[in-house]
Amino acid sequence: MRARRGRKFLVEPPASATGDIAFNLIVFFLVCASVQPDSGRHQTLPRSEEIEQQQEKMENIEVRLTRTTALLNGEVVPAREFPPRLSRLLDARPRQEDRVVVVKSEKETPYHHWVRVTEMIETAGGVITIQREEERQVVLPN
Amino acid sequence: MGDIAFNLLIFFVILARAQDDSHLQWEPAKAAEVQSAGVAKVSVLIDRDNRYYVNGQNVGQVQLVAAIEGILGTAPPGDRRVLLKVHNEAQAMYFEPAIEAISEAGGDLVHILEEEGPR
Repeated sequence: MRARRGRKFLVEPPASATGDIAFNLIVFFLVCASVQPDSGRHQTLPRSEEIEQQQEKMENIEVRLTRTTALLNGEVVPAREFPPRLSRLLDARPRQEDRVVVVKSEKETPYHHWVRVTEMIETAGGVITIQREEERQVVLPN
Repeated sequence: MGDIAFNLLIFFVILARAQDDSHLQWEPAKAAEVQSAGVAKVSVLIDRDNRYYVNGQNVGQVQLVAAIEGILGTAPPGDRRVLLKVHNEAQAMYFEPAIEAISEAGGDLVHILEEEGPR
């Protein structure tokens, strides 16, 4: 039996091409790093003057957020019960302009909690609007 | 020749990095459903230390509206997308002013989130 002899190839690239190889490697990794697409969620917020007009027609649903809880029209609602309770309230409002949900957050509310609750509101068909607590500085006379 | 090309490349990478926010420290919040955010002229970022950045440049809270308006300019409605990248533990007193600023500047808000894995 004849033993098969493997052919020997030149495996070392010429030294003069090292710079070009390095350059191409950098370009390759740069392209790989910059092609990662961002993913997220679109959110349309109605302007404040529109909300004032709606308040005249029908009282809006209010969601108050604390650090860990969500209050629906002033009542603490567990996360599991939040979507069906909100859907029931929204189902009674067929007109799009009446489906505004005012979200009021305490200062310490973390973003991940806010995102989770606003996602539930949008999934239920609500139109989110943010109401921030105004800070007023009152100087008392001596 | 190779060295010149290499140095030019490094120069442009550093130049591009000044406009980019990939070096900033933040962790996205998770959401059940996310869509592709698409291309945007403006990105607003709130990092771990609650600092605001517009296209990678550190700005103050009061400068947010002007900074966003300056970049958006007179862009038509479909071209006014603003990416909002907020660290998942950032508090409402920091991210709500940013949302308000984007709305005031007439930007189309896109929250940058990470898709939740299977539970």
